[in-house]
Amino acid sequence: MLTGSEPPPPPRLHEELFMSLERDQMVAGRHQALGRAHLSLRARAALWVLRGFVMVVGALVIYTFLARI
Amino acid sequence: MSLNETGEFVLPLPRPAAEQQDGLTGEDLARSRDRARVLAARARSSRWFLLWLLVGPGILAMLGENDGPSMISYAATGAAFGLGFFLPFIVVTFAMAIVCQEMCMRVGAVTHRGYGQLIIERYGKVWGWLAAGDLVFTNLVTLIAEFVAIRVGLAFFHLGAGVAALLGVVLVLLAQSGGRYWRWERVVLGLAVFNGLFLLSAVLVKPNTGHLTHAFLTFSPLPRGSFNEILLLLASTIGATVTPWMIFFQQSASADKGLTPNDLTQGRLDTVIGGVLAAVFGCGALVAGAALAGHGGASVDGLAGAGFPEALSRVDGGTAGALFALGLIEAGAVAILTISASTGYAIGECTGASSSFNRPLRDAASFYFVNVLVAVIAAAVILVPGVPLLSIALNANVLATVLLPVTLVFMVMLANDRQLMGRFANGPATNLAVAITVAVVAVCGAAYGIDSFLLQVHLIG
Repeated sequence: MLTGSEPPPPPRLHEELFMSLERDQMVAGRHQALGRAHLSLRARAALWVLRGFVMVVGALVIYTFLARI
Repeated sequence: MSLNETGEFVLPLPRPAAEQQDGLTGEDLARSRDRARVLAARARSSRWFLLWLLVGPGILAMLGENDGPSMISYAATGAAFGLGFFLPFIVVTFAMAIVCQEMCMRVGAVTHRGYGQLIIERYGKVWGWLAAGDLVFTNLVTLIAEFVAIRVGLAFFHLGAGVAALLGVVLVLLAQSGGRYWRWERVVLGLAVFNGLFLLSAVLVKPNTGHLTHAFLTFSPLPRGSFNEILLLLASTIGATVTPWMIFFQQSASADKGLTPNDLTQGRLDTVIGGVLAAVFGCGALVAGAALAGHGGASVDGLAGAGFPEALSRVDGGTAGALFALGLIEAGAVAILTISASTGYAIGECTGASSSFNRPLRDAASFYFVNVLVAVIAAAVILVPGVPLLSIALNANVLATVLLPVTLVFMVMLANDRQLMGRFANGPATNLAVAITVAVVAVCGAAYGIDSFLLQVHLIG
């Protein structure tokens, strides 16, 4: 954890630490948004069908659970 | 750089002002210290030390999923059906879990991003928030079940629900007070070792080795009972091994730990070790529960009141029951830590807020706040008198099974995304194994949901 009372690291050590991370592993790199993936109409429809199916079955499970208690 | 006696690099840390100037955050520095140790171990060819440094997310995901409701579910299955089909079925479900979790680790190590962040960036906010919504909902239900498990375990030692609630929340607060992912991970790993208590408990009830061998080799005897009860146990056994929170957790934790494509071998070993340990300990819980099969514990609901630990203590004189009770406390505690972490990661990734254990509290307040908040809400629920304990525990797993297919399908899409993964994308064998897993999960979850509903509204008898 960072504290304000300790001195900054010598530049050489700082550099060595920096080298141990991959460029896209640093916070700044991880915050660079990736582009959107292209999904075909059929793939999007299939995902929504699966989503709807899961919601219906989830609702049935919750209803049954509540009805039994 | 030099190592101190605990294996940590001794480095003076910079002032916040200095880090701002250099564009290098405290999170980067904390992670780079961990990575420097990994690089040094790799340079020295210290294979075992390298593995020690890189294990964590896989073992925690697997043993975290050997949680309170899962162990109660396994024991309930053993008590209802004895040693038979479900024993090797646990091993099969953990094999499925290893396939799924290896994908999560690989995607996290290659992209350095969590599941929620990748879904939002690649497929849009709607899918990202739907996934996070599913996760928060199932995590809350599961967390309630974890507190229930701790409560059942503590009840064996004559301690009440208030102690269970306090213990869980204090653990979350203590575990995340270090400001480093490494420390958080090692604390939880230290606790997770005690999942082995279920195996000890199984040994103490002296199972018939002939029956054990027969069950593993033949998947028999097949369970007998009502169709709906078998479906419930199938769905909850699957839900006890592969769940949405594990997917969120292992990918985010792998990224937070700083795994890279160079670490995939150790990441895979971490996942396999976790899967094998979890399967062995899960089988231990089932074997311990099976000791109750001939002692009036055949009904799944019949054990809710007395609790498994007390019922077990009547079989062997006390020790197995005490170990099972301690195991339930451990299983609940580890799962509370990992599941609340997965909730914090998911919310942080979807909102764009900082979500890393490598951040101090002031820089990632929302991440730590969500971690604690979900634990506090779940703790509050178990203080309500008359809560149906076993029913919540079993249904938490079923709900996770029902919602899992969408999470898994997106995981497969990410792992097959060659723009993201390049040469680390899924191969045909992995895709086939995951397709079978998704099909089994979807069919079991749907069959239980539909059958239970039809029974409830008296459309079938």
